[in-house]
Amino acid sequence: MIKHALFLVGALSLCASVHAAGNVAEGQKKSTPCAACHGADGNTPVGPDFPKLAGQHKDYLFKVLSDYKSGVRKNAIMSGQVTNLSRQDMQDLAAYYASVSGSLHIVPISRLKGSGH
Amino acid sequence: MKKLLFLFALLVASSAAVAQSAPKGNAEAAKKDKIAMCIGCHGVPYYKTAFPDVYHVPMISGQSEAYIIKALQAYKSGDRPHPSMRGIARSLSDQDMADLAAYYTSHKN
Repeated sequence: MIKHALFLVGALSLCASVHAAGNVAEGQKKSTPCAACHGADGNTPVGPDFPKLAGQHKDYLFKVLSDYKSGVRKNAIMSGQVTNLSRQDMQDLAAYYASVSGSLHIVPISRLKGSGH
Repeated sequence: MKKLLFLFALLVASSAAVAQSAPKGNAEAAKKDKIAMCIGCHGVPYYKTAFPDVYHVPMISGQSEAYIIKALQAYKSGDRPHPSMRGIARSLSDQDMADLAAYYTSHKN
């Protein structure tokens, strides 16, 4: 019984480490360096070719930061920025930017007019 | 005279190169037949990629125009890893990318 309970605790903590939720407030505190390029609200980038982050999907933002960190996604600026970020930092930042409302949105296929769909 | 001709040729060549490097985006052209390959994923609310990792595909409507072009070019060059996006981006010309960026940056609900 105890063995089973221990196994359950172990399995649960493993799940928690894989899906650890980011903390929005912590993310906001850590977002100062990001704001320099992506804008204070994550929706008004200072350069025309910088992305808007506000409202983007949390898991996508985390995936992108992880990919810059591992080096499979390459960008001269971002590769440097993620060097000192921990997994928790990236989860917090992803949670924060996903929670901010911005101009990013989805237009469902069903609502597209005049494109043959 | 020869020198002048050479200069003129150089001017034509360089302006052609500039025009080629920054084509003007046409949202209508994208809408007509280029977005078909995007909407199967980016037009489905909360759609998730199944390969190689599972996560929501990014929202691209309302994104910065020049960033969309840069992202597509990064998939084409291999600076971004996603296999499906690499395949799609390799099939796009600079004009296609400009058209798609013009379309998605101004995309309204």
